[in-house]
Amino acid sequence: MGFVAAAYLIVTALFAGYALTLVGRQRLIADLAEAAGLQEARR
Amino acid sequence: MIRPLLVGATGLVLVGAAWALLVAPEEAIQGVPQRIMYVHVPSVITAYVALGVVFVGSVLFLWRRDARWDHLAHAAAELAVLFISMTLISGAIWGKPVWGTWWTWDARLTTTLILWFIYVGYLIVRAWAPGSRGARTAAVIGIVGVLDVPLIHWSAILLRTLHPQPTVLRPEGPALPASMLVPLVVNLAAYLLMFAALLAIRVRQERTLTALVDALEGA
Repeated sequence: MGFVAAAYLIVTALFAGYALTLVGRQRLIADLAEAAGLQEARR
Repeated sequence: MIRPLLVGATGLVLVGAAWALLVAPEEAIQGVPQRIMYVHVPSVITAYVALGVVFVGSVLFLWRRDARWDHLAHAAAELAVLFISMTLISGAIWGKPVWGTWWTWDARLTTTLILWFIYVGYLIVRAWAPGSRGARTAAVIGIVGVLDVPLIHWSAILLRTLHPQPTVLRPEGPALPASMLVPLVVNLAAYLLMFAALLAIRVRQERTLTALVDALEGA
């Protein structure tokens, strides 16, 4: 049972880890959008 | 559209896992470790689908020079690495109780590891060579790397290997009883749906990011 639990936990962790990279990239996009908005406002 | 897809995929992954762990029958010879099949087989088939998307996206990018195809190939390559990683790790964990070893350098395992290295290389090229030159180089790697997939499939059929013969993807049809095949198909559908949801999110991010960087550089 330990091997099965390990396999499912690791697969879950990989899905969760990838989801976190998507969240991080979304924050980067939000920061860039803010910077682009500020530049537009300055002009 | 993407949010319901992601919620549906997450729900189906949970249903598939519960079915595999609690409802599917225990295999007579391997016992409990055989339940890893419900992760391992969907992971590898989803990885092949992801590689198919990389191949099509890369070919169309080189042909049409349209960045949208490059975004698709790049996003699919990331997900291909994710699903190949799941395949390799779940296979190693399944191998230990059944074969007595985590890893062996046999044809199928080695060609799968090579596939993982090829697409990690693809992502390294994307990270270190941004712009159109990096995109073209990555597209060539993406196309050539897919040639490893038939090698992996045929390695277990043509060569002597510890890995069992295909039980699902075979010309005569799957060699599994319905009580195991149905949860396997549910898990495969869940993984494919999750792939579609993550791909949609990643492609949208890549397009937005490119547009923003262009806007900031042009300003």
